[in-house]
Order: sequence, then C-alpha cells, then structure tokens
Amino acid sequence: MIAGRRLDTLRSNLLLTVVCLVWVVPLVWALGTSVRAPGEPVGTGFLWLPGRPSLANFAEAWSAAPFVTYYLNTIVICGGILAVQLFTITLAGYAFARVPFPGRELLFSLFILQLMLPLTVLAVPNFLTMRDLHLINTKLAIMLPYMASGFGVFLMRQAFRSVPLELEEAGRLDGCQWWQVLWHVYLPLTRPALVAFGLVSVTFHWNDFLWPLLVTNTPNARPLTVGLASFALAGENGAQFPLIMAGTLLVMAPLLLGFFLFQRQFVSSFIRSGIR
Amino acid sequence: MARVVLDRVTKKFGEVAAVNDVSLTVFDREFLVLVGPSGCGKSTILRLVAGLEDVSSGEIRVGDGLVNDVAPKDRDIAMVFQNYALYPHMSVFDNLAFSLKLRRVPKQQIRQRVQQTAATLGLEGLLERKPKQLSGGQRQRVALGRAIVREPQVFLMDEPLSNLDAQLRVQTRAELIKLHRRLEATVIYVTHDQVEAMTMGSRIAVMRDGVLQQMDTPTGLYDRPANMFVAGFIGSPSMNFLSGRLERHNGSLQVTAGDLVLDLPPERAAGADSANTQEVVVGVRPEDVQPAASLVPNGHRPINASVDVVEHMGNEKFVYLSLANASLVARIDVSCPASAGENLPVVVDAGKIHLFHPATEEAIF
Ligand SMILES: Nc1ncnc2c1ncn2[C@@H]1O[C@H](COP(=O)(O)OP(=O)(O)OP(=O)(O)O)[C@@H](O)[C@H]1O
Ligand SMILES: [Mg+2]
Repeated sequence: MIAGRRLDTLRSNLLLTVVCLVWVVPLVWALGTSVRAPGEPVGTGFLWLPGRPSLANFAEAWSAAPFVTYYLNTIVICGGILAVQLFTITLAGYAFARVPFPGRELLFSLFILQLMLPLTVLAVPNFLTMRDLHLINTKLAIMLPYMASGFGVFLMRQAFRSVPLELEEAGRLDGCQWWQVLWHVYLPLTRPALVAFGLVSVTFHWNDFLWPLLVTNTPNARPLTVGLASFALAGENGAQFPLIMAGTLLVMAPLLLGFFLFQRQFVSSFIRSGIR
Repeated sequence: MARVVLDRVTKKFGEVAAVNDVSLTVFDREFLVLVGPSGCGKSTILRLVAGLEDVSSGEIRVGDGLVNDVAPKDRDIAMVFQNYALYPHMSVFDNLAFSLKLRRVPKQQIRQRVQQTAATLGLEGLLERKPKQLSGGQRQRVALGRAIVREPQVFLMDEPLSNLDAQLRVQTRAELIKLHRRLEATVIYVTHDQVEAMTMGSRIAVMRDGVLQQMDTPTGLYDRPANMFVAGFIGSPSMNFLSGRLERHNGSLQVTAGDLVLDLPPERAAGADSANTQEVVVGVRPEDVQPAASLVPNGHRPINASVDVVEHMGNEKFVYLSLANASLVARIDVSCPASAGENLPVVVDAGKIHLFHPATEEAIF
C-alpha cells in the first residue's frame, strides 16, 4: 500500500523532471549562448557554456535597436489591452451570468463561437478595418481587435455563476446598486479568475507577433517581438546567435521575472479558476 | 409606522402561481410567522416584500408607502437568509459594516454601531474573523447582526434557524424572541416548523399552495382552525380525523363515528345545525382523547381501543390506538398505564371536538 504510493510519487516526480528539462533546456541554451564573448565562436568550448562569459552581447543588442521604445510599446499595448479587457469581460460576463434578457443564451453561443475561430483567419479582415480607420502603424491598431475577449467573457460568466445568488440579493438589500454588487461582492470573489485571465492575456500579447507585424511599419509603434525580429534579420554576416539570444532574453526577461515573483499566486489562481 | 400590507398579491412563475391572491396585514412591531409545507410560497412572499421579485398583480405597502416599484435598497428592509449569505471575503466586522458604509455613515459611527450590535449578539471576540472560521451558530448570529445593525423598519427572516442543531435552535429561538421585544421592529418570519411558529409568533399565517389558509394568534389557530388543513398542520401529533354522521336523537344532536358516539353540547349544536349536512369529518385533538379511567367532564361512553404503539416523551406519552374501523392518537399522562397490545378504553371530550365539511374541508366549528 505505502510502497505503492511511494512508487507512484517516484513515477510522477520522474515524469515532471523530464517535462521540466524539456522546458528548461532551450532557456539554458539561450542563456549560455548569450553570454559568449563576441569573438568566441558558438561551436567552441563546452557546448553550453562559453569559456569567458561576458555581458557584451546584451550591451550591443540594447544599443543596436530602439529597445526602450519597443519595451514601452509592448507595455502600453499589453496594459491597454488588459485594462479594457478586464472592463469588458467583467460587464459582459456579469450580464451573461446574472441579468436575464431575451436572446441571452443565443448571444452567448455566438461569443463561444469566437473561441473556435483561429485568430489568423481574422487577420486580413481586421487589417482592412484598421486601414479604413486610418489606424495602421499605431498602437491602437494592435490593441483594438483584442479589447473584447470571448474567452474572458466565458471565463467570467462561469466564475460569476459560481457565486451564490443570495450574496447578490444580500448586497442589494444592504444597499448596493448593481455595479456596487459587482464591485463589492462579485469581483473580490472571482479574483482568481481575473488574475488567471490577466496572466494569459499579458503573456499572449507580449509574445504576439503576426498581428503587430501586419499593422506596423516603423519602430515607433512596434512591440518587442516585431522589433526583435527585425533586429535579428538585420545582421550583415549571417545569424549572430549570441546577439540574437541576448535580444531574446531581453524580450523575455520581464515575463520570466514576473512569473518567478508571483508564481505562487498565479498557480493557485489557475487552479481555482479551473484553467490549466 | 412599519406596517406591511399585502393587498391581493399574486406571483406567477410561468403558469404556476407561487403566491395566489394573498391579502394580509402585518401590524407595526408584530412578529408574524408564515408557516406551511415546502413549496407553499413562504419564501416567495418574503422575496416579494423585500423587492427581490416583482409581483404579478396586487399591491405591497411598507409603512404607508406603496413599494411595488421601489428598489430593494430603498425599502428599508433587512433579510436574514436561510443559509446566511454572509460575504465570504469580508471579516465579521466588514459584513456588519457593509450596509452602513454604502449609506455613507461616518466611520466613527459605523465602528460604534457595529460594536454595539456585536455586543448584543455576543460576537465581540469574532469581529476579525472570516465567515469560514465561524461555527454554524456564530454565522447565524452574524447574519442576524447584519440585519440588526441597519435598524431597518422591517425584518424578514427565511428559516434562519433551520441549519442549527436542535439544542442551539431552541436557545436561539428564545434569544430571537427577546431580541424582537427589545428592537420593537416588525418581523416576518418564515418557517415550516410548527413548534417555532407556535412559540414565536404573535400571529401565524398558514399557507398552502400559494393560498393563505388562515391568519390568527397561535391559540386562535389551535382552538379554531378554519379548515382541515390548518387543523392538521398545527399541533403535534396532528389532530385525529374520523368520518362521521350528524344525527338528531331525542332532541339533542349526536355525532357518530364508528364506535364513537358523542352528544354535542347545546351551545355547539346550533352551529352544526346550520351546516346543512349529515356527513361530517370529526376532528379530535390527541389531548382530548383520554383513558376512560381519568375523568373527562364531557366525555361519555368509553369506547374500546387497542394500543398499537406507545411513544414516551418523558413528561407525557403518545398512544396510537386502533378502533373498530379507525385509528386515533391520544396524548396522555406518563402515569397512565398503557402498553402495546393491551386494550385501553378511552373517552373523547365532546366539548372540544371539531367538525368539518367533508367536501369543502371547511370547519363547521
Ligand atoms: N424563480 C422561480 N422560478 C420558478 N418557480 C419558482 C421560483 N421560485 C419559486 N418557485 C416555485 O414557487 C413555489 C413556491 O416556492 P417557495 O420558495 O416560495 O416555497 P417555500 O414555501 O419557501 O418552500 P420551502 O419551505 O421549501 O422553502 C414552488 O413551487 C417553487 O417551485
Ligand atoms: Mg423557502
């Protein structure tokens, strides 16, 4: 009995270790490559670690492209999208969860359908819309298509429905307007879902590449990902892997750092909101 | 000032009338208990008064104002929910303070009122805890406190004691009665427990299938039930019902139900005469059936019964009896000997029986 359980633990630990390695190896490789001294060829020395570690690549990458602008752009884009999304998914989720109106279920099914459309299918029509709105090459163009989220609405609707109806009724008798019920009762109780959604949203938009590439054509509006790509392609004599890796790490760093800092909260949020 | 009046109120959910043409008045500072079996519309009435549901037709007045179109928050009504509905993310203090904060009561005053309420209910040491960290009884008191702290005109309570264990329920029942006396507020209290109804209500309204059956004081309901439903619902064990006939015999009116033959006292005979029927249902409270040995003033002609089951309650016992073609429950003193299988001649107090119309089930008297 106990031996069996121990064997189970051993097995799952082994599996987790393998999965972990698969995730960590590219990261370690990128890190190892990025700190190679500029003169040292990639193939020399031990495969992973350079003979003489140096941060010169980071300095060079940083100065070679307008990373500050890219950073600011990405932060504004991710923050802007998230802020508007939190607003829209909360209101729409509440309406779908607790406000009866004719056609509610039908409308909600349409929202769910949105989840099944691959985003790339929408790229061309969205591009045309942005062009018609004269928004090409603005941050707003990158943000606009994402400001409503079928996934977020779905998530918040489920979360709100798990809040007992009596709590809303108690709130209304205690003196709340509907938006006060939302603010004081529903939102505190569904924070895990909001946090989980925020994390998914920020990660997605931080790493999003295709759409920002389509609607931008100058560094002014470009986010990090697009900037990094153009920087990587700009190398004169073939791919400069150490430099590119340094740039990549610069792009990833804030996300990684944020995740390590708030790992605990994120994981529990995911578990409680039911997203894995 | 805080009268609550329902005037021909109907609430339909689809085709079903959960509340059907109910008119009733709850007086200022009265403790009205709404009872009835599950699904009879008790909660719906509370929710209509609170404003959580809209009436299909009829008028609801709180104080002197018509509140049909007034939002719940403006009705000055507090409700205690059956499962308490405490805000799980707030401390006890914040649960109590929430309504005051929303009304922009000054902080200092909020603190004072919350502390005062907490003292009333013995919650002082618990103010920093979250609802999860409380026992059932403590949660119940917080729910009560959340209603009290607002000093509303009317309290609505939906089976607030049903989640407590028996001992705590009896204790809290007494506390609620005291509290009501001190608060001098109007209370509408829902329960399906008729003991709670009898002990707590200044008046009781009995509901069935959305229809108000009768509204009276506890003794009024017990002594003068308006129909067989109320007669059977109020009182435990329930009233015995026997089908019988009214017959005139030597000038006096007699009721016969199987072996049971009773001369109606003259003051009751007049009422029976006017009922214009021969077939009746005879209702006998268990305490009005007594062993023939003990003296019952209006009882006559002992009838033979055999004892099926005896339930000992400590201070009294319930004896389930078989008659020739009927059965009876008697509530008798512990000292009376009676054991299962034995014969026990019993008498029925003719002055205390009830007669009902067999078709309409309405009381004849
Ligand atoms: N929102 C609703 N939609 C449809 N039917 C409802 C709704 N609320 C209540 N009902 C119906 O109305 C009737 C009365 O319900 P109500 O909750 O008032 O009963 P109750 O007397 O409080 O019963 P209980 O003692 O079980 O709480 C029931 O038949 C119930 O199914
Ligand atoms: Mg109910």
